[in-house]
Amino acid sequence: MLADQYYLIAHEDRTGRSRLHPRATGLGLAAALLAELVLEGRIGVNDGDLLVLDRRPTRDALNHDILDLLNAQPQHRDIRTWLAFLSQDSALRVAERLMRVGAVELVTRRRMLGTTQTLYMPNTARQRNAAAWASTRVANMLVRGMDLNVGDRMLVGLVVATGLTRHVMYGFEDYPHIYHALPSMIASLPGDLRELVECTEALVGSALAVGRR
Amino acid sequence: MELNREAAAKRGASGSDIISQALASNRLGVPSVVFFAVAGAAPLTVIIGAVTTVYAVVGNTALPLVYLVVAAILSIFTVGFVAMSRHIVNSGAFYSYISHGLGRELGVAAAFVALPAYALMQIGLFGLFGVVASSILAGMGLVVPWVICALVAWGLIAILGMLWVDLSGKVLGVLLIAEIAVVLIYDLVMVANPRDGEVSVATLNPAQLLTPEVVAMMVIAIGGFAGFEATVVLSEEAKDPKRTISRATHISVLVAGLMCAVSAWAMSVGAGPGRIVADAQREETNLVFSLVGPHVPDVMITIGYLLFMTSIFAALLAFHAAVSRYQFALGRERMLPSRWGYTHPRTGAPVVGSITQSVLAFVAILAYWFTGADPLVELFGYLTVVGGLGVLILMWGTSAAVIAFFVQHPRLENVWRGRVTPIIAFFLLSIILFATVVGLGDILGLSPDSIFNWAFAAGYAVLALLGAGWAAIVRFTKPDVYAVIGRGVERRTVFEFPEPPRPHSHAMAFQSEQYSTTTSSGRESR
Repeated sequence: MLADQYYLIAHEDRTGRSRLHPRATGLGLAAALLAELVLEGRIGVNDGDLLVLDRRPTRDALNHDILDLLNAQPQHRDIRTWLAFLSQDSALRVAERLMRVGAVELVTRRRMLGTTQTLYMPNTARQRNAAAWASTRVANMLVRGMDLNVGDRMLVGLVVATGLTRHVMYGFEDYPHIYHALPSMIASLPGDLRELVECTEALVGSALAVGRR
Repeated sequence: MELNREAAAKRGASGSDIISQALASNRLGVPSVVFFAVAGAAPLTVIIGAVTTVYAVVGNTALPLVYLVVAAILSIFTVGFVAMSRHIVNSGAFYSYISHGLGRELGVAAAFVALPAYALMQIGLFGLFGVVASSILAGMGLVVPWVICALVAWGLIAILGMLWVDLSGKVLGVLLIAEIAVVLIYDLVMVANPRDGEVSVATLNPAQLLTPEVVAMMVIAIGGFAGFEATVVLSEEAKDPKRTISRATHISVLVAGLMCAVSAWAMSVGAGPGRIVADAQREETNLVFSLVGPHVPDVMITIGYLLFMTSIFAALLAFHAAVSRYQFALGRERMLPSRWGYTHPRTGAPVVGSITQSVLAFVAILAYWFTGADPLVELFGYLTVVGGLGVLILMWGTSAAVIAFFVQHPRLENVWRGRVTPIIAFFLLSIILFATVVGLGDILGLSPDSIFNWAFAAGYAVLALLGAGWAAIVRFTKPDVYAVIGRGVERRTVFEFPEPPRPHSHAMAFQSEQYSTTTSSGRESR
């Protein structure tokens, strides 16, 4: 799923740490989760507002949970409010979903001064391969100029919006045409998703400018 | 279905608003925003550094009143300013207000004034830090020239700026409370031990406000409030953007103004109103400590010196962050080359802006050292006054922008907030600005025929013209960039690169040469 792929791209496969500022990762994951609902046809985005189009539950538990919350709190429609809200625990919730499908494991590390750190990270060789493939797959498709489906184009959009482009393109610096394809790829997204990408980019920028954790 | 939705809306509105609660728990309340703003202005730095310098340089004892008057003017200004901040959601600063109220050309002009103003203030503070640190070390028997101390601080600031370490959390709060406590204790001690044997209120005589030097002191006083712009930067982070920021801004103006005024008065009582000027000229930044010294245990003086140093350091860091943030915002809106909008992926530090400011500060410190100029008067004094002039120009422009904004949107606020206070603030700030531009040479103690009498004001004017001209060029060459100037979060386009026709799959490896040339030229033109 979209948020799973984004999670694997945004975290180091060896250490489980976030590659971005934690708030940027959180916002990217929140946008990915909302995009999943858009792709499922449950919600739409119009001029900065979220609209629930279809209140039936989704197959995925996390998506269902978010949709339920959207139904229960109809007074909040601003997409930025929802991105900010979901970004608070999106990393944890996506990690739990990844754990359910067996892509990551819960690892507890002892740190200095007796504190422990809980990480969700790929732990076996197989899991690490799958995690590394997430970004290589995208880069590969871009380098070959293959046609991406909507989900993958949205993934690329979020990668660009949160500032992971350099990481995904690592090792493919000789293919500058990729960078040229990115804007048109984002522009070709459906209106809802494009608005989601733009909103995410703006929120990441202001979160970074303030510099709070 | 429709009924259900209405019922749900009612329930959500009255009872459990999960979203708002969850968001509020992680956001800033009034005290945090006040800490952020007042700590940026560093009260101890202003009181021990600026107040003594004003007494020494201007030689007028109306200072306590001047602080009160400035705080009052800024309070009036704040009414309209925060009223406008309710209607434009933007975590930008003064320049985004100006671009909303007076148009994008003037907004960019303001940004081009703001950037050097804050940069100069920060560089000037290095001079103060160097002098204070070297005198403290001299007291411990170590002879270290000021330039070494300044460079050590410079190195730390450069590293912390790159790591984007944010001291505005608990560390800054604790330091700030300690600073305020020390200031209050010192004030009490000075008032309790007047030199002349009685507590004199001579320095509070309003008649002194009619003396010609008063306006000169106002610009220096305004420099001490430079941090309060920072509150609106946090509007996206505040619990209730409408009320939190408004209250916090008013409180931080009042807290800073009252503390400075009371301390300036207490100093004049402690030294005696007739002797304060001579004492200040002799003791420089040690004035407060020499006044308090005989009456308190030594440890209080040591704590005072240490807090003075940490206070300057916090101010250095706050101004460094402000300058980097300005450059980041401008780079992001592509008014500066787009690489200024780049942030370090993991820390989020605006790396290029941070390095630029560090390099400028390094060059300035070394230049002052090579020429042997006085770090306290010529580095700290001059640069912060010139920076203060820039901040004053910004505030003046913003007060005009507030009027223009509420003329264009008349129904948003009531007459008091939308009309009366902005016009009064604009009128008062215009007087101060005019008098400052005319009298800048006197404030800096320059001879009447020196070109620096008008060079600084002219420099700001040239920068503003450059900014406005640049925005006018962008308006015709890149309308999409022009459209988002000063709009911050509201509407942004993701598209960083020009849109070429999409090439077909495998032909691209051969065309990469051609594409790389277009890419680089496309970037350079920004």
